[in-house]
Amino acid sequence: MLKRVLVLAASVLPLMGSPASLSSATDPVPAVVAPSPLRISPAFYKQSIIDIFGPSIDVEGRFEPEEREEGLMAVGARKVSVTDAGLELYDDIARGIAAQVVDEKRRTALIPCKPQSATAADDACARTFVTQTGRLVFRRPLTEQEIATKVKLAGEAATTLKDFYAGLGAILGDMLIAPDFLFRHRAIEPDPAKPGEYRLDGYSKAAQLAAFLWNSAPDDMLLTAAATGELHTADGLRRQVDRMASSPALESGVRSFFADMLGFADFETLAKDPMFFPAYTIKAKGQTQEQTLRTIVDHLIIRQGDYRDLFTTPRTFLTRSLAALYNVPLVELADNGQPDRWIPFTYPEDDPRAGILSQASFVALHSPSGRSSPTLRGKALRENILCQRVPPPPGDVQFNIVQDTSNPLYKTARQRLTAHSTSPACAGCHKITDPIGLSLENFDSSGAWRINENGAEIDTNAELNGVKFNGAAGLAKVIRNDAALTGCVTRRVYAFGVGAQPPRNDEWKAIEKKFADSKYNFPGLMRQVALSSMFFALPSTQETAK
Amino acid sequence: MVVRKRVNRSVAPLAAAVALFLAANPAKAETQGYVISWFATATYNLDFKGNCPEDRNGGQIAYRLRTLKQLGYADDVAKAIVQDEEHPLAKEANLKAETRAVVNGKPASIYNYPEAVPDPNLELSSGKYAYGFDLDGKTNPNDFEDPDTGLKVDNQLWRAVGCTESFTATPPDKPYYEDLTWNLMVDSAPGWSLRISGEDLSKDGPVKIVLDRITQHLDRNAAGGILHNMTYVIDPSPRSHNEFNGEIKDGVLWVKKGGNLYLEGEMPYHHEIALENTHMRITRQENQEIAGYWSGYLNWKNWVYMYTARPVNGEDTIGIYYALKKSADADPDPKTGQNRMISATWRMEAVPAYLADISGKIVATPASASQPLQKLADSSGE
Amino acid sequence: MKNVSMLARRRVLRGILGGGAVSFGLPLLDCLLNSNGTALANNAPIPLRLATWMWPFGLGDSDYRPKTAGKDYELPVQLASLKPFKERVNLFSGGEVFLDGMSNNTHFTGVQGLFTGKISNGAEYSGSLDTLIGDVIGKGTRFRSIEVSAGGDPRATWSARTGSGKSPAEVSPLKLYTRIFGPEFVDPNAASFTPDPEVMVRKSVLSAVTEDRQDLMKSLGAADRARMDTYFTSLRMLEQKLAIQLEKPAPLEACKKPDTPPQEKSTAISLLSEGMERHDLFAKLLAHALACGQTRVVNSAITTGTDGLRMEGETSNHHTYTHEEPVDPKLGYQVESARFQDRYMRALHDFIATMDSIQEGDRSMLDRMVIYAFTDHSAPRLHSLRNYPQLIIGSGGGRFKTGQHIPRQGDAATRVGLTLQVGMGVPVSAWGSGSNRVTSPISEVLA
Repeated sequence: MLKRVLVLAASVLPLMGSPASLSSATDPVPAVVAPSPLRISPAFYKQSIIDIFGPSIDVEGRFEPEEREEGLMAVGARKVSVTDAGLELYDDIARGIAAQVVDEKRRTALIPCKPQSATAADDACARTFVTQTGRLVFRRPLTEQEIATKVKLAGEAATTLKDFYAGLGAILGDMLIAPDFLFRHRAIEPDPAKPGEYRLDGYSKAAQLAAFLWNSAPDDMLLTAAATGELHTADGLRRQVDRMASSPALESGVRSFFADMLGFADFETLAKDPMFFPAYTIKAKGQTQEQTLRTIVDHLIIRQGDYRDLFTTPRTFLTRSLAALYNVPLVELADNGQPDRWIPFTYPEDDPRAGILSQASFVALHSPSGRSSPTLRGKALRENILCQRVPPPPGDVQFNIVQDTSNPLYKTARQRLTAHSTSPACAGCHKITDPIGLSLENFDSSGAWRINENGAEIDTNAELNGVKFNGAAGLAKVIRNDAALTGCVTRRVYAFGVGAQPPRNDEWKAIEKKFADSKYNFPGLMRQVALSSMFFALPSTQETAK
Repeated sequence: MVVRKRVNRSVAPLAAAVALFLAANPAKAETQGYVISWFATATYNLDFKGNCPEDRNGGQIAYRLRTLKQLGYADDVAKAIVQDEEHPLAKEANLKAETRAVVNGKPASIYNYPEAVPDPNLELSSGKYAYGFDLDGKTNPNDFEDPDTGLKVDNQLWRAVGCTESFTATPPDKPYYEDLTWNLMVDSAPGWSLRISGEDLSKDGPVKIVLDRITQHLDRNAAGGILHNMTYVIDPSPRSHNEFNGEIKDGVLWVKKGGNLYLEGEMPYHHEIALENTHMRITRQENQEIAGYWSGYLNWKNWVYMYTARPVNGEDTIGIYYALKKSADADPDPKTGQNRMISATWRMEAVPAYLADISGKIVATPASASQPLQKLADSSGE
Repeated sequence: MKNVSMLARRRVLRGILGGGAVSFGLPLLDCLLNSNGTALANNAPIPLRLATWMWPFGLGDSDYRPKTAGKDYELPVQLASLKPFKERVNLFSGGEVFLDGMSNNTHFTGVQGLFTGKISNGAEYSGSLDTLIGDVIGKGTRFRSIEVSAGGDPRATWSARTGSGKSPAEVSPLKLYTRIFGPEFVDPNAASFTPDPEVMVRKSVLSAVTEDRQDLMKSLGAADRARMDTYFTSLRMLEQKLAIQLEKPAPLEACKKPDTPPQEKSTAISLLSEGMERHDLFAKLLAHALACGQTRVVNSAITTGTDGLRMEGETSNHHTYTHEEPVDPKLGYQVESARFQDRYMRALHDFIATMDSIQEGDRSMLDRMVIYAFTDHSAPRLHSLRNYPQLIIGSGGGRFKTGQHIPRQGDAATRVGLTLQVGMGVPVSAWGSGSNRVTSPISEVLA
C-alpha cells in the first residue's frame, strides 16, 4: 500500500515544477528553422469545426483574446501562445464540442463505425474514428504511435466509464486542445529538388492554403494532394488553388480577411450613448459589420468588381433598422413581425454615402461613444486601408478642448481640433489624420447622416496628399485613386495568408502588376498570392531566431 | 462617463411650441411622413381636487367593497374577501359580483347587461379645464376651457371619466389601461401613419392630412422611444384611409369640421378610433416629432366596450358605463332621447417616417430626409 | 521521484482506472495548501456558489439610475437599504429586454428574456441562467439547486433546466429544513471521498498531449520555443487542476446544522410581513445548505410578479397599487407602491447579511459567492421591459470587481447574464437570441 501511494504521489509531481527534461527553450537553435506556428483564430476554429463535424455543432465559449500586429490579427497569431487561463477556455470549448459529436443524435452520422457494444471498449472502431477524424483535426495523418496511444486511452476511458462513446469524446476533447490543432505548425523537410535546402511539407502547405482561401481546415482532397506530393508541383498546386478559388468556401476566406483588416473585433467593445444616438439600436449595431461584409462579398466575388470601387460603390445591403439609422427608405413588403431581412439597396447617383468608408462599420467603429472623431477616423483610414503608420499622441497631451462639445466657441469638431492642434507638438500628427477625417464629419458617431453640429454647419472640405476634395464622396474618389490603396491590400492579403510581410522582390512586383492588370480583381489576387513561391517560403534563420 | 438626467417628465403645452410648423426644411409641394408614436385619451389632471372636490370614487378596491356590500356581505366579511384571494367566500363572491345583472329574473353577466345593474353613480369631473375643440359651435354650461388655447370646448368624455383613478394621469403617462396596453402592443401591433402635404409646409397655408393604418409594428429606438425615419408600408385597405383638409396658421396645423375619421386598431389596445366631426390641432416639436389633439364625437357605447375589453379591466366598468351615458351630448335617439354620441379628445404624438404604398413606392418622407423624395425614388431596394 | 517516467505514471493511472472508483489515500502535498492551510492554493476546491434573488416590480417609475458611473456613485434612495454592502454590490442600470415583434406577456416575458435570454410568444421557458452556471459550479452536490418562494406560491420560481419545466419552489421553511437537514443529511466533513471517474479519465487522456512535444520543438526558433513552452506549462497547470480534483476536498469548516424553523400556520399567505418573515427563515436555511456543500445554487423569489402581498390592515395589495395608483407628478413615482419596493430591498439586505454572516476561514461566504438580484418589470405602472435594475452582489472569490454602478441604457439586459456566466466560468461566448443576443461581457466588472 505504501508503495502505491508513493508511486501515485510521483504521478502528480511532474505536473508541478518544470523539470529540466520538459523544457527545450534553452536547447540550441537549429540551423534551419520552421516558420512560427500560428495560433488559430476563433473564426478559423469555428469554421474548421463546422467543416469537419457539420453546422449543427455549437462552438460555445470564449477564446483567448487575439493580438493585432502590423494591422492584422493573422500576423499577431505568430506571437501569441496559450496561457494557463486560456487553455481552460479551450478545454471547456473542446469538451463541449466532443460531447455534441458523440451524443446520441449525432453519433450515427459522425462516428464512422459502430462498436460491438456501446458500453465497452472497441479498439477497432476507436481506431477508425481516431484515424479519420484525427487527420481532419490535426490537418495531417496521425502517426501510428499517435493512433495507438489514443486508441488505448479511448479504450481505458470507455472501460472506466462503461461507455464507448464517452471514451471517444474524451479522446476528441484531447485532440482539440492539442498543440497540433490549436497551432498551425509549419513543418519543414529537406527539399529533394534543392539538396541542402528545406521546404514546407505537403500538409503544412495544404493547411496554409485552406486557412488563407477558406479560413478553415483542409478538406479530404487537399490532404490527399498533400499526401501524393501534388502540392509540391506547379501544376498540382495550380489545380488545387483553382479548385479552392472557385469554391463557395472562398467567401469565408474573403470575409475573415476583411473582418481582420477592418478591425471588426473592436465591435465587441463598441457602445454609443443612446441619449445622443437613439437610432443606434442594438439591432443596428449587430448589423453594421454584416452590411459591409455583404457589400464586399457581393462586389468582389459575385460581381468580380474592381477592389478600388469598394470605396465608391453605391450598392450595398440594408435592413430596415439600418435604413432608419442612415435615414433612407427601405421598403419591406413581408408580413408584420418578420425578422429584419437583408435587402439590396443602391444610393442615388452623387449621394455622399457611397462606398464602405461611409458605412457605420467604419465611421461608427472609429468614433468615441458620445461624439465623432476625425482624428480616429483619419488614423484608421491611414492605418487599416492605406497601411500608413500614424504615431501615437505624446503622453502629456491635453484633450480637454477636443472633448468639450459644449464650448460655444468650438461647435464643430473642426473648430475644436483646430484649437487643439495649434500646439506644434500635436500639429505634426494631426496633419496626417485630421484633414481626411474631417471630410467624414457628415457622419455622427453612430454613422447617421448630419449637416449641422451644435447648430453650426459642418465644413467637410479636406485634403489628402495635396489633393483638395469635399465630403465623403470626395474622399471616396480620392481614396479610390490613391496608389497606396491597392499596395496596402496586396500586402495585407499576403500577410493574412503567411503571417509575415511580403519581401520586396521582383516576384512581388509582378503580383502587384498582375493585380493592376486584372482591374484589381480580388479573388485573382488571392490566387496569385497562393501560387507565388513566396507563399510557402521559409524565413531566414536569423529572422525567426529573434 | 457622466450619466445624463432623464428627459423631463412633464410635457410642454403644445401651444408653447415655438417654431413655425415644419420650418426646418423648406421645400415645395412636399409630403411629410409620420407614424403615431403615442396615443391616448387626453387627460388634464394637474388639479385633481379642483376637478373632483368630493373625491369619492376611490380605486378598484373601493369599487369592489361597495359591490360586495350591495350584494349583502357585511363590512368585515367584504374586507376579508378583498384581502385574501383564498378566502372561503371569495370564489362565490366573485361570481355573484360578475353576474349581479338580473335579466328575466335570472343572474346575468354585468358586462353583457350593464343596464341591468344599478348605477354606482360615480363622481363626474367638475373642473374648469379639458383639452378639446368647440365641436357644436355653441357655448353652453357644459363647456370646458382648453388649457392651451383658452377656448371653450366640448369634451364630455373627460367629464365622465375625469374623476376615476384609471384616468388620473399626466403626459407622458397615459391613462393606466391605455398605457399598459400600448406598452404591451406597440412592439407587435400594426401602427398608424400620418401624411401631411402642402405647397410649402414651412409657411402658413392649406394642407392635406392623410391617415392610414400601416402593415408593420413600430420599432423602438435605443432609448426606449419610437425610432425615427423607419420605412413603413401603408395598408391598402380603404377601411382605415382618411383624408382631411387643414390649414397651417401661425405655425399650428388645424383641421376643423373634418368629417369622419376611422382607424382600425388592434385588441386589446384601441380596437378602433371612430370620430365624427373630426377636429385636429398639431404642432411640431423641436426634435422633428409632432404632437397634438384629435377631437370629435364618438359612439359612447363602443368606447365603453373598448374600455372593458382591455385586460384587467377595472371594477369601475359599470360606473363608467353610466357616467358616459349621462354625459353623452350628441345624436339623440329619436325614440328615447338618449344621446348616442359623446364629445371626446385624444392626445397624439408622431415621429417622422418614410411611408411606401403597397407597390413599394415611397409616398412620404421625414422632414429631415437627407435626400428629396425625387432623388430617393431613384434609389432602389431590389 | 523526478525520474519516474511519464510512461510509468500512465501505467499507474491506468491501474487505477481499471479498478474503477477507488478511495485515494493520497495525502495533500504541502505545496498545494495556502499559508494558513484553510484552502487550497489554487482556489480550485473552494466551492463557488450562486444565489439568485428575484423581486417583483423593480424600483419604481422614478429614475433610480445614479448620476455617475463607476465606483464613486451615490446609492439611489431606492437602494438605501443596501448601503452597508455598497462596496460589494454592482448595480447595472438601463438594461432592456427586446421583444423583436413578440408580445409582452406581463410578469413573464421580461424574466424570460432576463433569465433565459430567449423571448418567445408561447409559454416556453427553459435554460435559466442559474442552471447554466450550476452545470459548471454545481457538479456532484446533493441538490443541483434549491428554489424557495417567500410569498407562499410554489409557482414563484424561475429556475428551469434546458428542455424541462420550471422547478417548483419550496414555500415552507420547515419542509425545506427537513429536505436538507433531515435524516438524509450527511455531514460533509465526515464523508469518505470517491474521486469522480470522469475527472480521472480526463486527466489520464490529457497526459497524452504532452507526448510529442520534442518533435514540435525540434525545428523552431528560440522565440517560438518559448511560446510553445508557455503552452505546455499551461497544459501542466490544467493537469494539476485535475489532479487536485481527485483529492479529498478541504473540510467545510463553516458547516453547521441550523435551528429547526417553526411550524407555519398555513402555507398560503397574503401579508407582506409574513412573507418577509418567511424570506428571512429561508435565507438562513439556504446559507447553511450552501455552507454544508449540499448545493451550490439557490434561487429565492418573493412572488411570481403578480404580487398579492399587502400591508397589515390594507385591502390593496402591491400589484393593485401598481395598476391603480397615479404617479405622483411631483415625486415622479407611485408612493404606496414604493413602500413595498423599500421593504423588498431591506429583505435583500437581510439576505446578503445572512450569507455574509457565515465565516469560511478568513473570509465570509459572501466573498466566495455571487448573488444575482433581478426583477420582472422595471417601471411597475407600465410593466415595462426597459431600464431594468440588475444587481450582482459578492465577488465570487475575486472573480468580480464590485462597488460599481454600470449604466447601460438601451443595452440588452442579457449582457449582465452573460457577464455573470463568464465570471462564474461558464464557457460561453454568446448568450440569448434575437436582439437579446449578446456576445461580449461587461468587462468593467470582470476581475
